[in-house]
Amino acid sequence: MASDQGIRDSEPQSFVDIVLSRLGIDLSKLGSSQFQRKGYLSKVYLMELIPNVVLVLFGALVMWSASLTMPDASFPRHVFGIVLGMAAAVAMWRYDVGMFADKSRFLLVLDIILMLMPSIPGLGYNTMGMTGWVQIPLIGFRFQPSELAKPVTILLMASVTAGYNGKIDSLKDYLKLCGILCIPFVLILTQPDLGTGLIVLVLGATIIVCGGAKGRWVLITVAIIIVGAFAVVATSMTEGLPHILKQYQLNRLIVFVDPSVDPSGNGYNLQQAKIAVGSGGFFGKGIGNASQAGSGFLPEAHTDFVFALLAEEFGFLGSVFLLVMFGWMIISTVGLALRVEQPYAKLVCVGVAAMWTFQLMQNVGMCIGIMPITGIPLPFISFGSSSMVSQLLAAGMVQSVWRHRKKVSA
Amino acid sequence: MSLSTIIIILLVLLVLALVVLYVFYNRGDEKLQFDIGGQVPRADGGKDSSAERTVRARLLGLGLVSSTVVLGLIAKLWSMQLVSKDDYQQQAESNRTRTISLAAQRGRILDRSGNEIVGNRPCITIIAKPEVAENNIEIQLLGNLIGMPAAAVRRKIQDQSEGAQSDRTVASDVSRRVVAFIGEHPYLFEGITVEERSARSYPFGSLAAHVVGYTGTVTKEQLEESAKNTDEGSIVYETGDTVGQAGIEFEYENILQGIRGEQQVYVDANGAVLEYSTSVEPQSGSDIVLTIDAQLQQAAEEALQSIIDKIRNSVSKECKAGSAIVMDVTNGEILAMASCPTYSPNIFVGGISNDDWNKLQSEESGYPMMNRAIAGQYPSASTIKPFSTFAALDNGIANESSEYNCTGWWTGFGEASGQYCWEHKGHGRMNLRTGITNSCDVVFYEIGKGFYESDKPEAFQAKLHEWGLAEKTGIDLPGESQGRIPDADWKWNYYTSAADLDRQWKGGDFTNLAIGQGDLLVTPMQMACAYGGVATNGKQWRPHLLKSVRSRTGSGSVVDYEPQLLREIQEEEKYRSIVHDGLVGVIYEEAEYIAQHFTSLPVRVAGKSGTGERAGHNPTAWFITFAPENDPKYCVAVTIEEATWANSSALFANRDILGALYGVKDEVPYAITSVESVGD
Repeated sequence: MASDQGIRDSEPQSFVDIVLSRLGIDLSKLGSSQFQRKGYLSKVYLMELIPNVVLVLFGALVMWSASLTMPDASFPRHVFGIVLGMAAAVAMWRYDVGMFADKSRFLLVLDIILMLMPSIPGLGYNTMGMTGWVQIPLIGFRFQPSELAKPVTILLMASVTAGYNGKIDSLKDYLKLCGILCIPFVLILTQPDLGTGLIVLVLGATIIVCGGAKGRWVLITVAIIIVGAFAVVATSMTEGLPHILKQYQLNRLIVFVDPSVDPSGNGYNLQQAKIAVGSGGFFGKGIGNASQAGSGFLPEAHTDFVFALLAEEFGFLGSVFLLVMFGWMIISTVGLALRVEQPYAKLVCVGVAAMWTFQLMQNVGMCIGIMPITGIPLPFISFGSSSMVSQLLAAGMVQSVWRHRKKVSA
Repeated sequence: MSLSTIIIILLVLLVLALVVLYVFYNRGDEKLQFDIGGQVPRADGGKDSSAERTVRARLLGLGLVSSTVVLGLIAKLWSMQLVSKDDYQQQAESNRTRTISLAAQRGRILDRSGNEIVGNRPCITIIAKPEVAENNIEIQLLGNLIGMPAAAVRRKIQDQSEGAQSDRTVASDVSRRVVAFIGEHPYLFEGITVEERSARSYPFGSLAAHVVGYTGTVTKEQLEESAKNTDEGSIVYETGDTVGQAGIEFEYENILQGIRGEQQVYVDANGAVLEYSTSVEPQSGSDIVLTIDAQLQQAAEEALQSIIDKIRNSVSKECKAGSAIVMDVTNGEILAMASCPTYSPNIFVGGISNDDWNKLQSEESGYPMMNRAIAGQYPSASTIKPFSTFAALDNGIANESSEYNCTGWWTGFGEASGQYCWEHKGHGRMNLRTGITNSCDVVFYEIGKGFYESDKPEAFQAKLHEWGLAEKTGIDLPGESQGRIPDADWKWNYYTSAADLDRQWKGGDFTNLAIGQGDLLVTPMQMACAYGGVATNGKQWRPHLLKSVRSRTGSGSVVDYEPQLLREIQEEEKYRSIVHDGLVGVIYEEAEYIAQHFTSLPVRVAGKSGTGERAGHNPTAWFITFAPENDPKYCVAVTIEEATWANSSALFANRDILGALYGVKDEVPYAITSVESVGD
């Protein structure tokens, strides 16, 4: 311990280290009093668990209020999703997430199966504009396998990246990791589900970056992605060239740039979401008084635009409370990643934190007009059992990392 | 299959091939390795701790990015929910509130004893949004349902006369079956609604159509006009409002219209009403009580129509138009005002079709929308003679003892300019009184000549103007014509393309004017007022149709119309009696075939006929009476276009109307003779 400290002091510190130490923040010390504790409580990582439970309860409250005015928002089904997700989380926590560290082949195959499931005849359930759903025959239970693919991809990318021990030296290895990440990404795009694809891409890329990829390569890759994205958008907007983006996706981008273009379509949705959020004010309109969501002006008020509903009912106070809970939960997870020793466990935490960060930014950002509209749910809050199960499973992975920590630094 | 799908499929196949390659053909350690032991804690890296530092720095970076995201979102929420809160709340409020305007019921139009000439009735109307025009199936369905060709339905929906954005009226007065079908199949009829509106009803049919006028949907021009008018109490119309377009409906629009109410409602995103909020009740428009007597009006219309029909079926097949006026000479009240041909104001209810409208505007149908009683302009013919007489007496052209000799051929301006009296056989010795009674043209040729030779010839026209000829009466109806009295200036300026000699005012113009022919134009209303003035010793009351306004709200108060004196003409008593006696003589002395129609009446009548010549047409027949001659109360003026001699056309209609006034039918058969026979 002392030698660690000594090394760190003598080594030149990174810019982030300097900034954080100036601010008097030491992420490594988060929950450290509990870190060494023995007994039952030591088996759960309270710093992540507390905000997580608060978020699930908050989400249940929002969904209950939504169920008062919206027949689509079924409170019992939401609770069912929570129960199912908690079962998955507890199971995950009980067993060591580390057991997947050397099972990347299995994880890859599982990931591919999940991605392709909706395309299998007899399993796929594509009606009424819903894509990417699977209906299990005989039982009739429907879920979105792409949601489950998110934690699986975390485990996969962590397992293939962890072995480099934070130092990916050769370009060949870097490209291999990128190639593996491309498999779930490309498969998910064929669903088509651009939103989930982006989540997978972001969390996988974060794992590779935190797994020690050389900064130069990362920058080059990001540059290529940006150029590629522009090329995709440009070709999609040009007559005669292949349209990789669907027209509705293109419209969302156009509307994001200029909401006045299409006030009755996507621009209308965005405008209504912003009105819902803004009209919430400081204290909000109160449970059941959300006129924007309750009277149908706000579309998808219980799923994709649930944050707008929450912000309308609970105001700035409730929105900030939600964001602080998310911040707490994410920072705690990053803090755990800093302190656990196993590279695999670190990267699992990184993947989960990256997923939550991106989904939070994308979902909330879309409701307040700083991100384009995509069908990405808000973890723990949005209606939808598939999302709830996969998010709680991810939380269970973090708890498992804690419970089965081998050795701690700090 | 689109190119992009093919590309995606190729990509997927490529990825799958690579996966299979890696997973199943990787045997040696040197080749691709997936698992290289991430679960084992990193062995002491000796002095090389760079990897550890890299990971630590990047994890801290991740933490920093996450915190930035959260703080950035909070910052944006701060600006939306705290700074711009009011703006968004206002938008949310305007999202969910709608103001429904509640139409006020239009005031009714009643006759003088309270009979409803124009009322209101509920009317089930089918309304379509403009977008429906693009849905062929829906239009076809709707057309089949209401029994209307699809093309007609589309034309109705595309019609923008009610405003480009507003909903369109497709059909009115549809059956309950249609309403039920639309209600049961809302998904088939998107954008189509059924509304119960209030429509005009006409219990007496087309009775007094020209007086009451008709209503229509407010036009774009009227909308703009009302929006500009900011006077207090003025009405601001909304698209789709029903407004008066003609007649009393137009004239007293502000009284009839009423004040619309407003209802605030909370709605959901589909516009369905969730909750009612505050409301302002609409105020019905006030009822208009007319001076018209429905029974007399009916009699006048029937008398006019039946005589016109008789003429058309005998001597003049072009005869189809005319007018009749019954006025109370003591106060200007119009008891009846008929105009032929007429129309049914009911066809305007729910929007008139283009075909119907064009028909109403065509020459072929005789311009039935024109109220000939106030807008028809004709030479007055011999009915002008009492006023020519006053002009002559007042200006010293003639006096009470002037005498004339009628041989039937008058050569006052030389043999070359000789003119016939209507009675070619000649009347013999005439004075002013017998000149009126016998309508002797020669007497008035002499008067015309007298003015032509006097030092102030235009005093003739001035006198006619003084009596109200070619002066608007100011009756409370839109569309009144002015008429004209020709004079030297007018003639010179009017016939600009003629030779100078023909443009000059000549003696013949005066002789024409004195017998009411030539370029003179007057309206039947003006003549009725003028004869009213003769009957009341020079007092002309402004003719009016409004008797009172009866409020339908609150106390139901009544405001009565105050009669207005239009003008008072001073004539000497002895002159008046010459004219008066002459007019009585027309009825009882001129000829037995005239007198026989009037002797059965309980009162004595005075009056004058007139047969206006029209080149290339049958003459315009006039017959104007007032009664009782010793204490005048009513003036009846009948004009018939394309008729025959007044004494065998307009006289009969006039007598029928007098018969209705005094309850005595004419038992003498009506013999209609052609222009070539009998006399004026």
